[in-house]
Amino acid sequence: MLKMNNIKKVFRTDLVETHALRDFSLEVSEGEFVAVTGPSGSGKTTFLNITGMLETFDGGNYILDEQDVSRLNDKQRSRLRNEKIGFIFQSFNLIPDLNLFDNVDVPLRYRGFKAKERKERIEHALERVGLSARLKHLPSQLSGGQQQRVAIARALAGEPRFLLADEPTGNLDSLMARQVMQLLEEINQQGTTIIMVTHDAELARRAQRNIHIVDGQVSDYQDLQPVLDVIEA
Amino acid sequence: MLKYYLKLSWLSIKRTPMLTLLMVCAIGLGISVTMTVLTVNYLMGKDPIPSKSGELFHVQLYTYGPGQNNAQTDDGFPYQLTYPDVMNLHESDIPTRKTRSLATGFSVIPDSPEQTPFMESARAIDADFFAMFKIPFIFGNVWDANVDKSARQVVVIGKSLNDRLFKGENSVGKELNLNTSKYTIVGVIDDWQPAPRFYDLNNGSFNDTEVIFVPFSLLPVLELPSWGNNNGWKTETINSYQDKLRSEIMWVQYWVELNTPAQVEEYRDYLAAYIDQQKQFERFQDEKAAAKLNNVIQWMEYNEVVSDDSSILVGLSFMFLAVCMINTIGLLLSKFLKRAPEVGVRRALGASRKEIFVQHLVDVSLIGLAGGLLGLALGQLGLLGVKELYSSYEQLVYMDTTLVLIAIAIALGSSLIAGLYPAWEICRTNPSVYLKTQ
Repeated sequence: MLKMNNIKKVFRTDLVETHALRDFSLEVSEGEFVAVTGPSGSGKTTFLNITGMLETFDGGNYILDEQDVSRLNDKQRSRLRNEKIGFIFQSFNLIPDLNLFDNVDVPLRYRGFKAKERKERIEHALERVGLSARLKHLPSQLSGGQQQRVAIARALAGEPRFLLADEPTGNLDSLMARQVMQLLEEINQQGTTIIMVTHDAELARRAQRNIHIVDGQVSDYQDLQPVLDVIEA
Repeated sequence: MLKYYLKLSWLSIKRTPMLTLLMVCAIGLGISVTMTVLTVNYLMGKDPIPSKSGELFHVQLYTYGPGQNNAQTDDGFPYQLTYPDVMNLHESDIPTRKTRSLATGFSVIPDSPEQTPFMESARAIDADFFAMFKIPFIFGNVWDANVDKSARQVVVIGKSLNDRLFKGENSVGKELNLNTSKYTIVGVIDDWQPAPRFYDLNNGSFNDTEVIFVPFSLLPVLELPSWGNNNGWKTETINSYQDKLRSEIMWVQYWVELNTPAQVEEYRDYLAAYIDQQKQFERFQDEKAAAKLNNVIQWMEYNEVVSDDSSILVGLSFMFLAVCMINTIGLLLSKFLKRAPEVGVRRALGASRKEIFVQHLVDVSLIGLAGGLLGLALGQLGLLGVKELYSSYEQLVYMDTTLVLIAIAIALGSSLIAGLYPAWEICRTNPSVYLKTQ
């Protein structure tokens, strides 16, 4: 359902060309929980951005749910992203002057749902992350873990098939990180495919599959232990 | 989605109140200057009688002798006519209505000993004048058409004079002392102040209309003086009023009402025949002798009611608005780029570039609307200033509904144009840059 073949991405300035991804190939099946690890600057976030169609690529092809992404225009990509993909970021990226209800409402507005359906979905999503009592609170009134749960509710409200998480626990303490990870596992068990970029070896170990990226190229490890030992070291 | 965008715009305003205020002030200032100048200009050139402006014609004749032209007009035609020409033209039955017209004036001597005499401008006209120019009566009516042939001392007065002399009561049938003669009041007209005063652009396009109207037929009888322009080109001995009536002095105006193109054509032929006849009589000796008809709008253009200076001023005011809007572009860019991280999030959550673009244009529209309203308020102050400086522009210093709508449209239009580039810039930002660093 997600297939990348020989994806290339080059960032250019007047002086330097940086190859963020080189002949990057990957397939992710429905319902998988994939952790993406790799050293800083290896291309993890670029991969995630291309997967979420927030970045274009310079070569190769990318098929998402049988649609060739390179052939889509901005409107079609935005529509596909809105319908199929949910994002979770390290810094939560909630909109500070919108309350929780309105934050979760954002993707649903662009989806074009009617008010009644939006309300039901928002309440259900916030209930799922245990924050249904705080609909009118602003993000600044919540702890980091609660903010990340709101971000997860926002990502889930549109019932996407993919959840792309970029260091979702990076800004959280270990207790909150475990709670968020537990939530992600529950979501995955309910059928949502998750691709998670992380530096945390413990979290990566809990995923079904690990992708290790080095210098913009992918290594797919079934046996995780040697790699995770290296990361931990 | 519009309601949603308006909500986001309101939040955005609350988030950056100072920047927003600066933009509203910049737009407001530009709109106020533009609207002050535009209002005066618009009302100067506005059709003063839209239902009939195409059917009322001012008559001009080229009657100069060879090499004697001293006209101030571009085409050499004099603005006014001689008395003999007006009397001759008045014989034609082609026009539906017709009126001779002369600016004159009287000393008004009130009956009440408590009131002192005063000078008042007046107009000598024919009975058709009122129907031609759609002048409303509040009491009585115009004099009988026969009075235009055999003079009688009757008068139609304006509401303000009736209020002054008769405290607003029906004064029809009462007598009015003008100079040394008594005139019977036959009608009282309501306030009537066309702007511009198209029926006599020779004597101040925006002056007050007269409040005393007497039959033109009284001219030779009472030897009414001209309070307007008297232009001569021929060396003539004028020892008496009768000499003036027979002379080539141009001092009278003539209007005709022609309701159909066929009627206009017929009247043009008539005028051409009149020119030929006068040439045969060797009165019109210049080859250029000709007749000219101008309808109300053409007559206003001919008289340059809206002067070139005014048009240049409008241009300058729009340039000032442009400067204000260029400043607004900078402020908008600053405001929008502050929101780039939020835009990144919205893009990640499914907003297309178009949706981001439209959202920001709605934002700009709201600011433009506020600027427009501020501009209207400041524009009113500007108009009050114009009124204080130029009393003759009193009729031109109000904004009607059309002008208010124009102000809002200019504010919205110019804001949207100013907002295009900032909105385009923000919708093109790469969301991924902000998602990691927010």
